[in-house]
Amino acid sequence: MTESDEDRPLDPAEMLALIQKQERAVGLTYVAPVTWLYGIWGIAWLVGFTMLWAGWSFEWMPMAVAGTIFGLLIIASIVTSAIVGTRIGRGVRGASTFSGSVYGISWTLAGTAFAALGVGLAANGMSSELASLYYPSAYALMAGILYILGAALWNTKSQLVLGIVLLVIGAVAPFFGAPTNNLVMAIGGGGAFLVGAAHFLLAVRKAR
Amino acid sequence: MELDPVIHAAARLRITATLAAVPPGDQMSFPRLQELLEMTAGNLSTHLRKLEDAEYVEITKTHQGRTPVTYLALSKRGRRAFEDYTETLRNLLGAP
Repeated sequence: MTESDEDRPLDPAEMLALIQKQERAVGLTYVAPVTWLYGIWGIAWLVGFTMLWAGWSFEWMPMAVAGTIFGLLIIASIVTSAIVGTRIGRGVRGASTFSGSVYGISWTLAGTAFAALGVGLAANGMSSELASLYYPSAYALMAGILYILGAALWNTKSQLVLGIVLLVIGAVAPFFGAPTNNLVMAIGGGGAFLVGAAHFLLAVRKAR
Repeated sequence: MELDPVIHAAARLRITATLAAVPPGDQMSFPRLQELLEMTAGNLSTHLRKLEDAEYVEITKTHQGRTPVTYLALSKRGRRAFEDYTETLRNLLGAP
């Protein structure tokens, strides 16, 4: 397209289509990375909590190995989230930078607080059986609250749905007892993330 | 119904629509804008100048370390002009 071509006004229908096409293209740059985020977290929850469950249930799966795999999956997901999160907002600065930073830090703060509470409870006699109920649920409740906060900040319904699902799973899982609570996390939490990823994948395909 | 001649050109309409998607109070860097529009730097600069002359776009020049970076944002006037333009289009087309 030459410059004079670009300066030429199109008819109103074409101009409106042009606006909508551009708005879709901009929207996609925000939505497409979310597919990755949800996909990665879905796999981390599904595989990670299944490993923990297996670590408690079977002799052939030592708990140390299961715990390490779980930890590595979660760390890999956190690193990926941080990279993807920065890429979504790249080249944009201003009022929203503050919201984004506070939101990012809130995960670290909340994660540390819930972990410290667990250590405090263990120091006061919480058994390892109870700890295996506490940690997964504390993690799910934390993530649930933060996804709901994200929904409020960015007006995203998918985060609201995901947040509510994680709250329900975190609250309900202990009633199944250990180690089944880990399976509830794996299937419920991992499943919710993967359904979210599939939803966004379809949305992106449709928009392209 | 008159269509705003500043925005009623394909390239400037696309620039304005992209900047309108940036929340008020935020600015977008020139390279990011260029990437979203798939325009050459020269072409984008020319159209941005026209939008700046009409006071639709505010241009901030700054440095990140030693690299100069230009940030763009729609002015209040620009945002209003884009909303009016879109509304006029919809009225012309009889769309809701």
